[in-house]
Amino acid sequence: MTDTAATTTPTATPVEMPLLRVRDLEVHFTTKSKEGVIRRPSITVHAVCGVNFNLYQGETLGLVGESGCGKTTTARAILQLERATGGSVEFNGRELLDLKFTEMRDVRKQIQFVFQDPFGSLNPRIPVGQTIGEPLIIHKVGNRAERAERVAEVMRLVGLEPRFMNRFPNEFSGGQRQRVGIARALIMDPKIVVLDEPVSALDVSIQAGVINLLQGLQDKLGVSYLFVAHDLSVVRHVSTRVAVMYLGRVVEVGPKAEIYRMPMHPYTQALLSAVPIPDPRRERSRQHIILEGDVPSPVDPPTGCRFRTRCWKAQEICAAETPKLVDGGGGHEVACHFPEAASVL
Amino acid sequence: MTDATTTADLNGTTAEGPLLAFDNLTVTFTSDGATVYAIRGVTFSIAREEVVGLVGESGSGKSVTSLAAMGLLAKNATVGGSVKVLGREVVGLKEKDLSKIRGTDVAMIFQDPLTALNPVYTVGWQIIEALQAHRDFNDEQAKAEAIRLLTLAGIPRPEDRLSSYPHEFSGGMRQRVVIAIAMANQPQIILADEPTTALDVTVQAQVMRTLQLALEETKSSLLLITHDLGVIAGIADRVLVMYAGRIVESGTAEDIFYQPAMPYTHGLLGSIPSVDSDDGGKLAQVPGNPPVLTDAVVGCPFAPRCPMRQAVCLESEPSLQPVSDTHSSACHFASEVITLPIGQMFAVDDEVTP
Repeated sequence: MTDTAATTTPTATPVEMPLLRVRDLEVHFTTKSKEGVIRRPSITVHAVCGVNFNLYQGETLGLVGESGCGKTTTARAILQLERATGGSVEFNGRELLDLKFTEMRDVRKQIQFVFQDPFGSLNPRIPVGQTIGEPLIIHKVGNRAERAERVAEVMRLVGLEPRFMNRFPNEFSGGQRQRVGIARALIMDPKIVVLDEPVSALDVSIQAGVINLLQGLQDKLGVSYLFVAHDLSVVRHVSTRVAVMYLGRVVEVGPKAEIYRMPMHPYTQALLSAVPIPDPRRERSRQHIILEGDVPSPVDPPTGCRFRTRCWKAQEICAAETPKLVDGGGGHEVACHFPEAASVL
Repeated sequence: MTDATTTADLNGTTAEGPLLAFDNLTVTFTSDGATVYAIRGVTFSIAREEVVGLVGESGSGKSVTSLAAMGLLAKNATVGGSVKVLGREVVGLKEKDLSKIRGTDVAMIFQDPLTALNPVYTVGWQIIEALQAHRDFNDEQAKAEAIRLLTLAGIPRPEDRLSSYPHEFSGGMRQRVVIAIAMANQPQIILADEPTTALDVTVQAQVMRTLQLALEETKSSLLLITHDLGVIAGIADRVLVMYAGRIVESGTAEDIFYQPAMPYTHGLLGSIPSVDSDDGGKLAQVPGNPPVLTDAVVGCPFAPRCPMRQAVCLESEPSLQPVSDTHSSACHFASEVITLPIGQMFAVDDEVTP
């Protein structure tokens, strides 16, 4: 993106229709109550509680937050890998949450998923070429020779040599395995790829190669990414826009330059201020906002603003009223009763 | 204690001698007839109140180095060379004598705090046990001191939390409890092996703050092992970079971050995306993978991945040589590498490259 992206983002103009539109998405997990000697009441975990965002054609939306904030659950719910308990997910104007399994299969050609763990997400007994080509069989594309040709093509695209298609996952390094996962996701030529922590299991020198690859593929194919990650440096590097989640909600979303340069939500400020910068002089002269205590339990989340129990600005209204995402200009939305821009990096 | 003083910058020696000194440490593992040369000659020392960061990627040998210092390696490990804790040789020491050093002179903090805490005793019991083992405290004094240490570690309501069990704490709180116990032992050296790796970034900030308070409180030295260069930048006086079982670069934090003299360090620094700029361009990309150390190394172990390699690199392994009073590098072309912009040699063009 160019420097002008600081004020207006080229992809998020209101006239453009989002490819993916997520509104008030809610995913609650409820355990069954138990009777008998050991009684256990039913518990509801409010994992995702009213998440809103858009994903536009050709952009990368970074979805960041810490463990348990609901970012992975949100990503999985979009593809019905988790069952949403409320809200709406529209893809090209079509509601996905009402779709039957067979109808959803059709949508999955266009929205693909890359999993975090390059070791756990590949079947160790299946050659990688077969894993990559499996979507072609499921969706009944081409004959055997055509499928093999397509597998070779997509392997070349992600930087794997097609002659390795008969090898097994254990013969590949972590970075190469993640390329296998990306190749499998791309083989149906999807509109959207949902990437769930795609580089967090990799060492930095290997991670850089996968990030470069993902960016290159986007330039080439025009695919949109929903990039779920906890690493704020990686997210700034790859994203067009960024959404920050805390305890099941999006607290701030906007063009990445806005979010990183002038965060408005106290949680975003604390999060960014905690990221260590690999530059000794700068890191040692920075002020870090150290949050008190832990994230509250999603079983019994705080009323109103969910960050208020750890927020230095909290007032009565924060407990009484849930702040809504409000656009402060240029597509920079924040859910806070007392928003105030501050530079923390 | 003269054995570790050969290279100026590796030498944490003060008038009283180093607290912790590694001299040509080697560790090999054998299993099913295969031999892995995990540590291939590591020499460095740490002075009093010094913070040394040991960085490297998976398999570089950084954790094995710290485990060797504590005699915690598996039975199939063969250890050579010397590790001295407060002047006392640790290599070859009996388990009984080792356990006296652990916890008293040296405190250890691992990635998973649960490995350091006993699940069946309360946190209060564990801190008080440590306090009474080392200091002449009665129950009341020990309890008061335990509360003070938990407060220092940033545990809310410390009086109440004394009677909590480890599982009742969150991951970050547990790590802070481990640090409180470490403080109770009044160690001279703290070995922290990836202490914040499993933690979220805001929790990491809490734990690093606690660790810094612990250093001030105990006046101990710290060997911090991590792959996170940001964490190192915030705390380390000196930085050691490990690759393939050896230290390949050593210097002050400023030497390493601003004037790296080893191509591998250039690769590491250049491959980190920047959190404080909007440059979304290509990251430096180190080709290939680290070597598997099952064969004896010939030449520089980084040569196969190095854009600057020459014939000499494939023939002889460079030793760590000084490039300044504080800075050493194990590279045949260190004086040239130190002048290059960081990461540039690994720059990739805008094509999709494998």
